[in-house]
Amino acid sequence: MSNQAVNGLDNRPVVNRPGKVKGSSNISISKYVSYTFLIILCVIWIIPVIFGISTSFRSQTEVVSSGFRLFPETWVFENYVTILNNTSTAPILRWLGNSLFIATSHTILVVIVISITGFGYTRINFKGRDTLFFTLLGISFFPGVVNLIPSYKIIDSFGWVNTSWAMIIPGLAGMGNIFLVRQFMNGIPKELDESAKVDGASDFRIFAQIILPLVKPILIVCGLFSFTGSWNDFLWPVIVYTDVDKMPVTAGLLLLQDIYGNYRMIGQLMGSAILAIIPTLLLFIFAQKYFVQSINLNSGIKG
Amino acid sequence: MKKKINWAPAFFVGPHVILFAVFILLPTIYGIYASFTKWNLMSDPVWVGFDNYKAILFDGKSTFHTQFFRGLKNTLIFVGLSVPLLIVIPLMVAVALEHKKVKMKSLIQSILYIPGLISISAAALIWLLIFNKQLGITGNLFGSQIAWPANQPYAWIIIIVITLWGGIGGNMIIYRASLSGVAQELYESAELDGAGSIKRFTSITLPSIRFPLIYTFVMTTAGAFNVFGQPLMMTDGGPRQSTHVLMMYIRQLAFGNGESIAGMASAMAVLLGLVILVISALQYYVMNRNAT
Repeated sequence: MSNQAVNGLDNRPVVNRPGKVKGSSNISISKYVSYTFLIILCVIWIIPVIFGISTSFRSQTEVVSSGFRLFPETWVFENYVTILNNTSTAPILRWLGNSLFIATSHTILVVIVISITGFGYTRINFKGRDTLFFTLLGISFFPGVVNLIPSYKIIDSFGWVNTSWAMIIPGLAGMGNIFLVRQFMNGIPKELDESAKVDGASDFRIFAQIILPLVKPILIVCGLFSFTGSWNDFLWPVIVYTDVDKMPVTAGLLLLQDIYGNYRMIGQLMGSAILAIIPTLLLFIFAQKYFVQSINLNSGIKG
Repeated sequence: MKKKINWAPAFFVGPHVILFAVFILLPTIYGIYASFTKWNLMSDPVWVGFDNYKAILFDGKSTFHTQFFRGLKNTLIFVGLSVPLLIVIPLMVAVALEHKKVKMKSLIQSILYIPGLISISAAALIWLLIFNKQLGITGNLFGSQIAWPANQPYAWIIIIVITLWGGIGGNMIIYRASLSGVAQELYESAELDGAGSIKRFTSITLPSIRFPLIYTFVMTTAGAFNVFGQPLMMTDGGPRQSTHVLMMYIRQLAFGNGESIAGMASAMAVLLGLVILVISALQYYVMNRNAT
């Protein structure tokens, strides 16, 4: 069967296959090939999540004595109780709180900065505007690895090491989102704001009352990706935070393998990982269409 | 008569220009400058000319020389293994999802996309358990008696697996969006001409999504060169530093235990940056030329 399925991929002209209705066999074989592929992939993709969740509800003795099981024999909450009570070496609620504060503030500021700047690059006329934009864009293509070490030094000189500012502010300098917003704003007919200008509206009123409502979709998309990007950032927090109480959850989890003893306290490890996943997962469930639509906007522009 | 100053550019563009200058332009210039210095992050950098580069590139006895080339080799192995799969698997998924008869498209898409929203440190905790000898799936279901993170080629396999798990979602959505834009009439007329699936794929699908392909290929490769979290979490660079990638050495030299060797680390960072730039440019040039 699998052999036949593979052959089905090259779909020799249907007329060469006697006794079959034209087209239908091709479609059904390629349908099975597609389904088999997708289902295998989905199973592999979803098992770690299920396994992680279920292990977080298994007791330590059960994990060690009965080895691998997809679901617990008895569901227990003791792992979560331990995790939440450990407020000294692994204060996971604090870490989650830090992450939430960092990601939320960063997202709000990103949306403000990119909308204002996008307006400036599309609606405010000044000499060298487009040259400035494309110069900054060009510089931003230079690989970020080069500015990593000096960025630390700059953050340090502001006194921001081990504070949330270290993760909230530097990311606002990026050009990617501004590029998208600028493209989007360029697509809005200029006549709209010009007629308002004739009526005596200020730049800021045009921005706030005409342009801002129209660019809401792209701002939501950029905001969502800023939030998840900030929440999941790993290299930068690992460098910037040494204070256990101040770090976000991604950096905190790095410490856990030592704290919960190299997989001797598996339930606790899994429980912590699951807690760290929940916020972005919820965000995806509620804003799924934006995550998917985003790239439509994105590729629509580039294509 | 004095002209009224126009504050609008300063208000709308100014704040971001300042942010850009402080957090991108300044550190980039400083990073290049620091690569020509001896610097411990605390005191002022001392100019040493090309000494760092000489040690890294030509001094066979220097540990920095060994670290750089080992790190670069391991990074290249990662790029070579991961990038083709990060292009091909999402493309296959997108093509399979385009199939008229396939149901539950958005559910499948969500399942494959969601791991991309999981941070590497959380993902690694779960995957390390799966690959755990005593407690995991590889040990119990497939009877593997080997500690995967501590033995090759398994160490690379688990790094690639977790990379694919979290990495195919983005490209998949780009390809899906691009494929849905390909005109159905093209396929229908090709089918009437007797073109098979593979023929239709190579002569219609691939050329129609040429730009997204180039774009994702260049971006995915550049991203893969910055690999850090997966080997750090999954193998910590082992076994015997065979998965110790360049970013890990750079971080270790600048921010590790003991006195910081940030000048040397900056030189490695500049070299890595140059490799990324050259390869991106090359990819863009070759793919753009071949496609036309």
